Amino acid sequence: MTISNTSATPIRPLAGVGNNWLRDLAGIAIILAAAVAGYFLFPNNLALLTRMIAIMLFVLSLDLVTGYCGVATLGHAALFGSGAYAAGIAAAHFGITEPLTMVAIGALGGAIAGLVSGVVILRGHGLAQLVLSIAIIHLFHEAANKASAYTGGSDGLAGISPEPILGLFAFDLWGRTAYVFGIILLVVIFFLLRILVRSPFGMLCRGIRQDPVRVSAMGASVKSTLLKMYVISGLVAGVGGGFNAVSTQVVGLDSLSFTNSAEALVMLVLGGTGTLYGALIGTIVFIGVEDLVSAANPFHWLTIVGALLIAVVLFAPKGLYGTAAAIIERYRKDGR
Amino acid sequence: MKKLILAAAAFLMTASAYADVIKVGVIGPFSGPFAIQGKNFKAGIDAYLATHGNKVGENTIEILYRDVPQPDPAQSKALAQELVVKEGVQYLTGFYFTPDAMAVTPLLEQGNVPMVIMNAATSAIVTKSPLVVRTSFTTWQTSAPMAKTARERGVEKAITVVSDYGPGVDAENAFKTTFEKEGGTVVESIRMPLSTNDFSPIMQRVRDSGAQAVFAFLPSGPTTLGFVKAYNENGLKQAGIQFLAPGDLTQESDLPAIGDAGVGILTTFHYSIAHDSPENKAFVAAAQKAIGNPAELSFPSVSAYDGMFVITKMIEATGGKQDAQKAVDAVKDLAWESPRGPVSIDPETRHITQNIYLREVAKGDDGGYYNKEIKTFEKQPDPGLAAAK
Amino acid sequence: MQTFFSIGVDALAYGMILFVISIGLSVTMGLMRVVNLAHGAFAMIGGYIASYAARDLGLAYGVAVILAVAGTIIIAVPLERFLYRRIYGAPELTQVLMTIGITFCVIGIANYVFGPTLKTIPLPSELQGPVDIGFRTIAAHKLFAISCGIGVAFALWYLIERTSFGVKLRASVDNTAMAAALGVRTKIVYAASFALAVGLAAFGGVIGAELLPVEPYYALRYMVTFLVVVSVGGAGSIPGALIACLLLGAIDTTGRYLVPEYGEFFFYLAVIAIVWVFPRGLMGRAK
Repeated sequence: MTISNTSATPIRPLAGVGNNWLRDLAGIAIILAAAVAGYFLFPNNLALLTRMIAIMLFVLSLDLVTGYCGVATLGHAALFGSGAYAAGIAAAHFGITEPLTMVAIGALGGAIAGLVSGVVILRGHGLAQLVLSIAIIHLFHEAANKASAYTGGSDGLAGISPEPILGLFAFDLWGRTAYVFGIILLVVIFFLLRILVRSPFGMLCRGIRQDPVRVSAMGASVKSTLLKMYVISGLVAGVGGGFNAVSTQVVGLDSLSFTNSAEALVMLVLGGTGTLYGALIGTIVFIGVEDLVSAANPFHWLTIVGALLIAVVLFAPKGLYGTAAAIIERYRKDGR
Repeated sequence: MKKLILAAAAFLMTASAYADVIKVGVIGPFSGPFAIQGKNFKAGIDAYLATHGNKVGENTIEILYRDVPQPDPAQSKALAQELVVKEGVQYLTGFYFTPDAMAVTPLLEQGNVPMVIMNAATSAIVTKSPLVVRTSFTTWQTSAPMAKTARERGVEKAITVVSDYGPGVDAENAFKTTFEKEGGTVVESIRMPLSTNDFSPIMQRVRDSGAQAVFAFLPSGPTTLGFVKAYNENGLKQAGIQFLAPGDLTQESDLPAIGDAGVGILTTFHYSIAHDSPENKAFVAAAQKAIGNPAELSFPSVSAYDGMFVITKMIEATGGKQDAQKAVDAVKDLAWESPRGPVSIDPETRHITQNIYLREVAKGDDGGYYNKEIKTFEKQPDPGLAAAK
Repeated sequence: MQTFFSIGVDALAYGMILFVISIGLSVTMGLMRVVNLAHGAFAMIGGYIASYAARDLGLAYGVAVILAVAGTIIIAVPLERFLYRRIYGAPELTQVLMTIGITFCVIGIANYVFGPTLKTIPLPSELQGPVDIGFRTIAAHKLFAISCGIGVAFALWYLIERTSFGVKLRASVDNTAMAAALGVRTKIVYAASFALAVGLAAFGGVIGAELLPVEPYYALRYMVTFLVVVSVGGAGSIPGALIACLLLGAIDTTGRYLVPEYGEFFFYLAVIAIVWVFPRGLMGRAK
């Protein structure tokens, strides 16, 4: 199941480099503006918005392997969950409660999980690859369930109480500190990722997605390139997981579940793959809609979410961001 | 920063003191694989409001439901936070799964909100915050009497088979500890993954173990059905191996599906819908009306009903002012006649002390199946906390 | 030795039930190239119809099975016409999104219409109770499921490899434009194969209901299992799916007997090992 040309932004010629920088700055400005707007428009929903940020980091990491490398995986929560547990265990059992350190440990945990999953998942092709990813997430889940002395098993890992950030900003009931912390993490990582995907390494990954045979004929090692990307993806997912552990102060087995992986994939495809922006938009729309309809009708909201997904495929087949970008592009051309 | 929070908290407190609508936030599984249990929360709550009205003195109760379909502590916490901060709820209740409840306990003190647990059955939750009160049961509480029953019935050797997750391990420990204390031997303890669909190989092991009885724990729902069927089809019933379990396995909403295969299973539990008392008859009538389809009524409804009773007592005691500690203190030692029988809140643990009944699945005159109470273990506290020490 | 046979019989029964339920998915994924995550949803619809017919209307088991298959196909036809037809040949991830959406809708509707309780399909007296097969007893319905599995495997193989419909189907899938140019009405062929796959799903849902009981969350609960079985076998290959089901059934059953605590590890490590050796599935065709 290698994904061919899902909603790819075409590889841009080098002449557009300056333009790209401008675009990225504009993108980051929009994220910051949205973040500030979120803070003031929904001051009582910061817990939800904070959860969104953690998931955004997770979906971004999935976009790296799925959108840019064409690896279809239903086991990406292994990376996110490992990050969350690494940070959580460090805090609950080893007394490392400094938030930045916790996030760093999360990133490390995610990277290691990325290496392990990458080695296994990259062995297969097509459907077999999907099955390997499913096997991986179940193994991680079961391992966490078994190691209940460290992970708390199915009861969840509680007792994580992070210190104030830099000793100044304590985590509060309203979730303001966590929100601001999350936004900073998100913007920094998003910026780095934009640089990464435009680097020669990022280009190589896109090349592999489009034609692995040709890339290997050029003399590049397909496997080691993809594995590197998997580790990077693990770092990002681990930051998300670690941040989630810091902000919610609890880690549950659900963070290492198949459901979590599948939901992330749904969010990514909903927004559009291979753009990074799509990952952000997909997450906001999915979690936002889910929260809205499940609060309105906690009993039958699933039907509405299902209908939304179907509608997106019918009317925005390239994902929300991909389709919007395509429409704008066409409009521009017509305008000229 | 801190000052700001305090100011805001003070503002919230004064604001709610004059409010005459008291919001109660219910977090539970209202969709997804455990939707039936969430539905029972709602039925219990609705039954209470239908029979007692939604007024406590001057104040009106308003219920807000939030859905956490599967154990997901992070989401549970985010929703609880939103309920407290945005909706201004004064009470948090519901909580079907232990991790979901555990995740919320750190918020209680900061939010000045008591938590009334309507299901989550791990003993340790009440120790996580002094503002937690539980009206359901613990797996230890319902499982330990089963071990006594087994010994009384002359079982020397037993095997335990549980799902490999928190409550399953609790049930295994509860049974094993009590059974061995009473002089029996547990020949083998099997833990099987939650995802097990085909139980034939497990039954083969039970048979090979030479035990006289099998003590089982699985989460209520589809796997229970497969397990009971495998027990019958693999000839364990004919071989005379007694089936013992806590009542989760024979919850009333699963009984029609289990059918004849279930007849004769012995369970110990805190509540049977067939409990014979006027209080229960009134409750069942109201709850069946609330849930719509009477066949869907099950045990979480009674904890939800009693949970609402406790919450109204808390509102009475505080006069509608938000004061979590005062509210919790008011219900310590509270004793009342629940539909399940006489119950009280233990002032030390804030967990419910109640009768545990030994029941047998039986076929009624109308062709339906029910849990027939045949013995009462009176005023059982939770042995789980003591065991953990 | 007796234990060995006993486990063998259990494994065979479990494998065959898996096969009956998941073979329809192998048709959609392998032959029609649609990652149909809604497969479980169709199996569940079949189960609900059969349960309603047999339990509430009191019809005979055989009639209920036929009604379930027919009813599910009738429900699926408009879905094919308006939804699936849009995603033939679309990128896999788009298909995943659409079919997950359908699954969510079906779960929500089933929960609303039938309620969240378990639904049973009463078996006829011949299929109830244990049967003595010499060295042990086995449930009669399991024997029935085994024979259904063998029947389905043979019929399907014959249909795809030996009939003109099979030829048209394979031609349409390999090159739709060329097949159409040669006079194959590809839209009809696709619709017919979709109906076949859905019918098989419904049939499997009913036959397997003793092991995988019908309830609203069925559609998602067992999806992973179906997906794994089909992919390990190599999508689109009937013999591959059969071997995979028997193999995985045996591994799962043995694992749960020998080391129940680590059953999950045992099963998924075995899956990884198999895929490691056969990266395109047991009988998968290289694309």
